[in-house]
Amino acid sequence: MSLRNIRAITRKEIQYILRTRSTFILVLLAPLALLFIMAYALTVDIESVPIAILDQDGSEASREFTAQLTDPTELDLYATVASREDLEQMLLDGSIKAGVIVEEGFEQAVAQQMGMPVHIIIDGTEPQTGHFAIDEITTQILDFTADQLAQAGLPTHLLEPVDLRVEALYNPDLEPRIDIVPGLISIVLGMPALSVALALSHEREHGTLEQLLVTPVTKAELLTGKMIPYILVGLINVVVIPAVAIWAFDIPFRGNFVLFFLLSVIFLFAILGMGTIIGVLARTQPVALALSFLVIFFPGFFLTGIFFPLVSMPEIIRAEAELLPGTQYAIITRGIFLKGLGLEILWPQAAILAALGLAFTVVAALIFKKRLG
Amino acid sequence: MNDRNANPAQARGTPDSTQETVIETDSLTRKFKKIKAVDNLDLRISHNELFGLVGPDGAGKTTLLRLLAGLLKITSGSAHVAGHDLTERPEAVKPKIGYMAQQFSLYAQLTVMENLNFFADLYAVTLEERKERTERLLSFAGLTPYTERRAEHLSGGMKKKLALACTLIHDPPILLLDEPTTGVDPVSRREFWSILTDLHVRGRTIVVSTPYMDEADRCTRVGLMYEGRMIRCAPPDEIRSQVRGELIELIAEHWQAARAAVGELPGVLQVQTYGTTLHLIVDNAAERLPEVEAHLEEERIAYSRLRPTQLRMEEAFLSLVDQREQERWE
Ligand SMILES: Nc1ncnc2c1ncn2[C@@H]1O[C@H](COP(=O)(O)OP(=O)(O)O)[C@@H](O)[C@H]1O
Ligand SMILES: [Mg+2]
Repeated sequence: MSLRNIRAITRKEIQYILRTRSTFILVLLAPLALLFIMAYALTVDIESVPIAILDQDGSEASREFTAQLTDPTELDLYATVASREDLEQMLLDGSIKAGVIVEEGFEQAVAQQMGMPVHIIIDGTEPQTGHFAIDEITTQILDFTADQLAQAGLPTHLLEPVDLRVEALYNPDLEPRIDIVPGLISIVLGMPALSVALALSHEREHGTLEQLLVTPVTKAELLTGKMIPYILVGLINVVVIPAVAIWAFDIPFRGNFVLFFLLSVIFLFAILGMGTIIGVLARTQPVALALSFLVIFFPGFFLTGIFFPLVSMPEIIRAEAELLPGTQYAIITRGIFLKGLGLEILWPQAAILAALGLAFTVVAALIFKKRLG
Repeated sequence: MNDRNANPAQARGTPDSTQETVIETDSLTRKFKKIKAVDNLDLRISHNELFGLVGPDGAGKTTLLRLLAGLLKITSGSAHVAGHDLTERPEAVKPKIGYMAQQFSLYAQLTVMENLNFFADLYAVTLEERKERTERLLSFAGLTPYTERRAEHLSGGMKKKLALACTLIHDPPILLLDEPTTGVDPVSRREFWSILTDLHVRGRTIVVSTPYMDEADRCTRVGLMYEGRMIRCAPPDEIRSQVRGELIELIAEHWQAARAAVGELPGVLQVQTYGTTLHLIVDNAAERLPEVEAHLEEERIAYSRLRPTQLRMEEAFLSLVDQREQERWE
């Protein structure tokens, strides 16, 4: 390995990154933008749901109930309708996400403490919004029932049979943002890997690889020189992204930053190894892009346990997931950010990442031929 | 153009037996799926030849040059360049050759100077050599005023000259140049050839491919490639003399009619069409000219020119290809 050759390739690549606007944006700004978009899109709370009410009872009690129903801001009364058909039409065109039907005989049932004949209809194509609506409506029903019981001089504690005390450690309010944002860092850092894959296929596509291959430069020098700039860019992101996570998203950082930085370097090595393999295989940039999404981003999104817990996956998928750098790194980022873990606990993850990085780089070097075909 | 006659052995164009062979192929073959892009090629190029590789698109020129540069895997046969077997030690060949690809293959975002320095680094050119050589190459390519300009902003001709300069940065004894003048304006083309002639005089061995037949005349030896094979390999004069017949040029507005009228005349071996110009290859121009003239009068076909002319490389080439096609049918 000649350091002069590695330096020449690295310098050339840095000049390329700095002078090509699209690459510059891809490596330095896209990770930040991606973090913001995903963090907002994936963790935004549902604030209110538009509903419609069909009051078939038309009694004093039913009016009292429906008024109370839309009192809190979570349920937003879009319309009061006269028939079930109207209600379904509104669900169909999307103007409401849930409908409440107060059935005939409501007043009578309430007066006799025989339960409440209330019917809830939700839009099943948006289950999350639907569940949110059901939760809110049920809460209102319980409140209304409690009021009725109190007015009748009956005990209300029966409505809460168990005194349950749940305590969530590290994320006391169970806010999705707190655990998702550190996890997202591993996806965002896939950008440098995409960039190295694109850079390698760019050389093949534009013929510059042809000119490189006739020089005496070795495969190892070429690949190393090509990876170094993207590791450096990744390191800038390793500092910027957590800083943004801490300040913009209020994520606690309870661990050691130096440890986080070092483990991130190992992760970058592993993920860039994947990017390099893609870059060696892909003949054109569109192919490199497609392969990166298939191999880096989709699995990074779905299989690394950031959104979908690993325990919910079938055994075989789970084994595969364990071999993704993102899975190990998600454990590291959450561990260091939220739990303040040290190397004494995270060393297996660090070791797996280092082994993956080494394996990927060796594979890339083996499949890379110093020829065009 | 004249200095190719400086050495009598080269003027004859036969590989000089006293000169060492620097490129040698034996039944060299490269297949792409079914196509044999280079087909059983035996080629011997000696030190200090200026070898022209001529042939139409798809003849296999690029494939042959890439094989010689170690860029493509040899399907069968063998090739030696600068004394090294390309299958066994391709890397040993790399420092000895300067290869210029057909398409522009330098870094568009780097400046002229940065490109030169980049390749100087990879070829381990020492700092002392680099300074002197960069200056010389820049002035020789006419790029001295543009050292800070990015390669992407150079004109087509300047790009080609920069590519040649980068190819020469390590002063290789063997040059493999793939269509260096394609897509270049006529002035740059002439400049380019004067650079090549200069390099040739300085003792380099040059293999240059070109689709332009007139450029073949500037080489010491020409290889005519067609469908992966070398159908002729000889000095330009010899190739011309191998074509049977002489040439009559005929320009007629209704060239299709003229073509039909003269094609079947006795003594007309072949008719080639270049727009409204027809080239008749005949057994004896002096004898056939009046006959052709009389026949055209008879058929009432108007023409603006009818005269005997010199056989060019182009006609020679087409005639050889034609001959080959006929041989295949027979
Ligand atoms: N990489 C490749 N894959 C498949 N076919 C190729 C490839 N390169 C060249 N060929 C085919 O080989 C033949 C020779 O091509 P080439 O060497 O480029 O000819 P030339 O340079 O004389 O135009 C053509 O038929 C071409 O289509
Ligand atoms: Mg070609």
